[in-house]
Amino acid sequence: MAIIERPAAVPATVDAVAAPEVVTPTQALGAFRRPVSSTGWKSWLFTVDHKKLGIMYGAVSLFFFLVGGIEALLIRLQLAAPDNTVLSADQYNQMFTMHATTMVFLFVMPMAAAFANYFLPLQIGARDVAFPRINALGFWLFLFGGLFLNSSWLLGGAADGGWFMYSPNSSALFSPSHGIDFWVLGLQITGIASLIGALNLIVTVLNMRAPGMKLMQMPVFTWMVLVVQFLLLFAMPVITVALFLLSFQRNFGATFFDVNQGADPLLWQHLFWIFGHPEVYIIILPSFGIISEVLPTFARKPLFGYKFVVFSGAAIGFVGWGVWAHHMFASGLGPVSVAVFSVATMLIAIPTGVKIVNWTLTLWGGKLWFTTAMLFAIGVIVLFTIGGVSGVTHAVAPSDTQQTDTYHIVAHFHYVIVGGAVMGLFAGFYFWWPKMFGKMLNERLGKWNFWLMFFGVNLTFGPMHILGLQGQPRRMVVWPEKLTGDGFFDMHFWNQIASVGSFVIGLGVLIFVINIFWTWKKAPIAPLDPWDARTLEWITASPPKEHNFDRIPTVHALDEFFHRKYEEVDTADGPRLVKVKSAEEILAEEESHADAHIHLPSPSYWPIVLAAALPIIAYGVIYNLMLSVVGTAVLLLAVFGWCLEPSVADDSDYDPPAGGDSTKELATLG
Amino acid sequence: MDRSKETVSTLGRMPSTRRHWSRAALFTGVGLLLAGCANNAPQDIFEPKGENAKKIDTLQRPVFYIAGIVALIVIGIVGYAMWKFRDRGQDIPEQSHGNPKLEIALTILPAIILAAISVPTVISVFELDKKTDTECIINVTGQQWWWEYDYATGQCGDVKIDKPIVTAGELVIPEKTNVLLRITSRDVIHSYWIPALNGKRDAVPGRLHTLRMQADQPGIYTGQCTEFCGLSHARMRQAAVALTTSDFQQWVDNQLKEYVAPEAGSLAAEGEAVFTANCSKCHQVNDLKNADGSPVLSDPDLYVVSGVAPNLSHLMNRTAFAGWTFDLLTEECRTALWTAKPADFGAMYLKGVTPECFNEVALRDWLRNPPAMKPMFVDPNNLSSTGGKYRGMPNLNLKPDQIDQLIAYLLGRN
Amino acid sequence: MADIAVHDVDHAHTDHGAYEDHAPHATSTGLSNNKLSMWLFLGSECLLFGGLISTYMLYRGRHEAGPGPDQIFDIPLTSVSSFILLMSSLTMVLAVNSAKRKDDRNTSLWLTITALLGALFVGGQVYEFTSFYHEGLGFTTSLFGSSFYTLTGFHGVHVTLGIIMLMVVVFIMQRDRITGDKAEVVELVGLYWHFVDVVWVIIFTLVYLIPS
Repeated sequence: MAIIERPAAVPATVDAVAAPEVVTPTQALGAFRRPVSSTGWKSWLFTVDHKKLGIMYGAVSLFFFLVGGIEALLIRLQLAAPDNTVLSADQYNQMFTMHATTMVFLFVMPMAAAFANYFLPLQIGARDVAFPRINALGFWLFLFGGLFLNSSWLLGGAADGGWFMYSPNSSALFSPSHGIDFWVLGLQITGIASLIGALNLIVTVLNMRAPGMKLMQMPVFTWMVLVVQFLLLFAMPVITVALFLLSFQRNFGATFFDVNQGADPLLWQHLFWIFGHPEVYIIILPSFGIISEVLPTFARKPLFGYKFVVFSGAAIGFVGWGVWAHHMFASGLGPVSVAVFSVATMLIAIPTGVKIVNWTLTLWGGKLWFTTAMLFAIGVIVLFTIGGVSGVTHAVAPSDTQQTDTYHIVAHFHYVIVGGAVMGLFAGFYFWWPKMFGKMLNERLGKWNFWLMFFGVNLTFGPMHILGLQGQPRRMVVWPEKLTGDGFFDMHFWNQIASVGSFVIGLGVLIFVINIFWTWKKAPIAPLDPWDARTLEWITASPPKEHNFDRIPTVHALDEFFHRKYEEVDTADGPRLVKVKSAEEILAEEESHADAHIHLPSPSYWPIVLAAALPIIAYGVIYNLMLSVVGTAVLLLAVFGWCLEPSVADDSDYDPPAGGDSTKELATLG
Repeated sequence: MDRSKETVSTLGRMPSTRRHWSRAALFTGVGLLLAGCANNAPQDIFEPKGENAKKIDTLQRPVFYIAGIVALIVIGIVGYAMWKFRDRGQDIPEQSHGNPKLEIALTILPAIILAAISVPTVISVFELDKKTDTECIINVTGQQWWWEYDYATGQCGDVKIDKPIVTAGELVIPEKTNVLLRITSRDVIHSYWIPALNGKRDAVPGRLHTLRMQADQPGIYTGQCTEFCGLSHARMRQAAVALTTSDFQQWVDNQLKEYVAPEAGSLAAEGEAVFTANCSKCHQVNDLKNADGSPVLSDPDLYVVSGVAPNLSHLMNRTAFAGWTFDLLTEECRTALWTAKPADFGAMYLKGVTPECFNEVALRDWLRNPPAMKPMFVDPNNLSSTGGKYRGMPNLNLKPDQIDQLIAYLLGRN
Repeated sequence: MADIAVHDVDHAHTDHGAYEDHAPHATSTGLSNNKLSMWLFLGSECLLFGGLISTYMLYRGRHEAGPGPDQIFDIPLTSVSSFILLMSSLTMVLAVNSAKRKDDRNTSLWLTITALLGALFVGGQVYEFTSFYHEGLGFTTSLFGSSFYTLTGFHGVHVTLGIIMLMVVVFIMQRDRITGDKAEVVELVGLYWHFVDVVWVIIFTLVYLIPS
């Protein structure tokens, strides 16, 4: 062991109130000096801190959200008038393919991952995730995968087969540009990110909860994220297989979808939707979790029927595996399969209904405080309900054969995804911003943001119900005047309303971006507990220190933080809840009992190096396999370096803590 | 308590929230109601004109009502709760974790509603799949980007078809007859949809799917390909035309009539030569003969990925061309046909494209440069992925006088 | 239970000297993070192979060009290589046992033998692929060919990765650079190895033994 720089000596006597010693080892390993910065750009590039990674996930997802949003606006511009020529057919097909791909894989999923990364350890009272370096690897894979995918725009055109990429339209014969190759390989890369992220978070939740925290005392957000990670764990390999088959066909001449060889194009559909339907719940459940945190906080009472909400979430995750073929009611499955999947699909409406009922009853009898976060959360209830009931109309299989592939479906899933998932994420932004950055997002701009988005969603997607039911199919670069019907409220009118609405949403999002910059530059420091919140993440400083908690809290109840603040006191009028401690007092108490010698995982070069190797390999698959060889060499180097690097730099010379305060260490080889 | 007041004053509150909410709820409700207010949109799924479409309609209407009512109730309750329980300085409420009995009841309630919906759903699924009473079989094949119809010889309702009929774009069927479409594809997946007559069925290469078509009365029912099928998916349309039995007999007779060669020396005769030299490589006109009397046989397999091109023997008996996208009828004549009373429809339709109703502009533009009107995969410099074959119709670089001649010739293909 | 769970979650990374003989890692589940994640990963792998096996089962009868399964499979040869792979599971068990007894020498020995047996299996697979190719079954010949090579190829890559992992463990164990509980590292590789073996048993049965 060559050069070892020992960490600074610990003072012999530790001041009881002083911040705990954070050990950031600085030694080098072999020829490579470990990265050590905790400030500056290097501290971000090589970080393994779940909070920094969470923020980076969020920033990059937000960037892709804007990219996907611009794609959406271009689509709506094209559709604002009949036989319009803003986009060519080829550009339009790329646009809607990439809009969906970007929004699903590069915005909603990673944005949920951003919140999960940042808040899951905080909500369960852990100092980091189980495998911090793998966590960093996941982020870089997502970023590089997303950039790789979008680089296709500059390299001969993006994928043009729709996000569902049905074979045989996705084969090289029918889509000769490299767009679909980029799509396939890009999703493989981001898929690895999702898979390792899932492993990491499941282990974190199952193994690293604070003392006393039982599973049924975990915050609902943590629960929903856990369910999502299990869905990812089992759904990702299925799409991985499908993508491998497709890329073997396109790049190496395999025959999986070659009908002339006797292939069955429905194989792709089954594989895709076995992944694709759980994916729907992967998208929506994190937001369900977020609003299940926001609603109780601003209603000042616990979530109504916590157990029901948790179990219904798990039930959705479970039944979600048995309904994939409802995307294929017109595919010619035969009446028995259609009937079975139709009934199974209705079944899944029950646990979803349970959630809506419970959220509504959480409001009931509360003391409602309409912050922006609360408005977004209530917006989710309203818009998701609309999306949910329109979903029931196409669970009815015969009626779905009329509705499928029309704008009625587009309306349905945008109410669910924008009205449900995206609005839920926005609730999360406004709710957790003070925790993440110590500053409140401006509430006035926030209200504008909310109302513009809420009206925008209804203006854009509301008319699409009508358009679809009047027979306008999806994925059409043009719609002809002669099919629009007569009268003032013809399809021409509704298409224009939808286009106007999309710009209203765009304005709402723009205000959000302005709000971020305003908050960054101008906002005052936020109070420690601005929302009178309930869960564990609020028990620590804002933003949390690098080690999250000075003392790992011991948990006694669901909504632990709330119960530390409030106590029931008997008065003449019966029992009343009285605030007995402020957040500041609780924090001071925690700080005064800070753990000694907290070991944090050390930064590492290898995650970013390893992640960078994969796009190189992928470019090689498309252009020249020699490049893949180079990429593989980089990959092997990174794996080698990774394996030989302890996750926490060697500190065996360091005195183990003796007596007194406990030591909480982070796990692992990861 | 005081803590909450503090934060409230930090942030300010929105007193007008409630008003906004009720307005939002109203807007959403009105939006949903308007869904039913279609004005003669030809593909409106709530205006079924055939048996199966009516079955679907009967099934889905109550579901839409139930869905709308449930949504309004939920939104109403949320809105009421927002008003009733807004912060008016009341105590922090009791920290109740729920009410299992109420929750179980509210779980069972939607379960009952859904069970009630699922029974007729399952019954309908099987009813709609019924094939035993088929009276006519037509093969429907999708390819980029048009539909081909191939009438099997034998009975079609009360009409006997002696020789195969091959046509494109417009599906002509006898009214009140149970027609079974046998649907497949020659390249990618397409989906056949005539909303007024039935739901969709995918056309999957290598698989044969069936779909019942039945129309209650004569008329033209439009539809579109609804499975994304590549570049010109938006320009792959179709229609079903229902005729009375006698009109259908007349249509069949016309399809099977002898080839009428244009009068020697006429413009149309020159057009025949242009057609034989250029178009007939892919497009078949039945019984067209070479100068030496040998039949002109198209061989699109050599040029087109899907291996077929529309049969043009009776082009002018159809009302649109190129994937049923561009009208052969002038707008006036098309509107008259589309809005004709069922009793008048057959005679009007069987007249075909008369010179006074002929929308010459569209066909002329098409012959001049097809990919400019409808994007297709026909760039001669970029055909390596398809082994030199086209997907769609390339620009044949016809000269203006050749186009005149061709149009004169095609006008006689009725 | 929860009380223990928190303190000393895991020392896996620092187990040089001072922490070496700590009590077993106490986590909320009782399983170490590494082992739990390996189990989860293997669960995920089940669906990967599930997808590949389904594809093969759908396509194994479809070979318009080139030979079909009945014409080219050499059951005795593949049975021998399957037996070799099964034996490697036995030696893997012995390696784990040695590791638990902290017998580094025997652990290394058994791990090396396991790797060699695995290599023998992969060699058999390479031989098999080569002879199939000469008999006219290429990767692009037919649906049967594409799906057969993809399924068995994916399995072969898994075995190869396993061999690399075994060799790396032997290598770093001899240089005493395992950062953590040695027995657990060996056990983790063992879990993976057994999984790959079990998958082969399924593949061998479905692909080779059951006639199409």
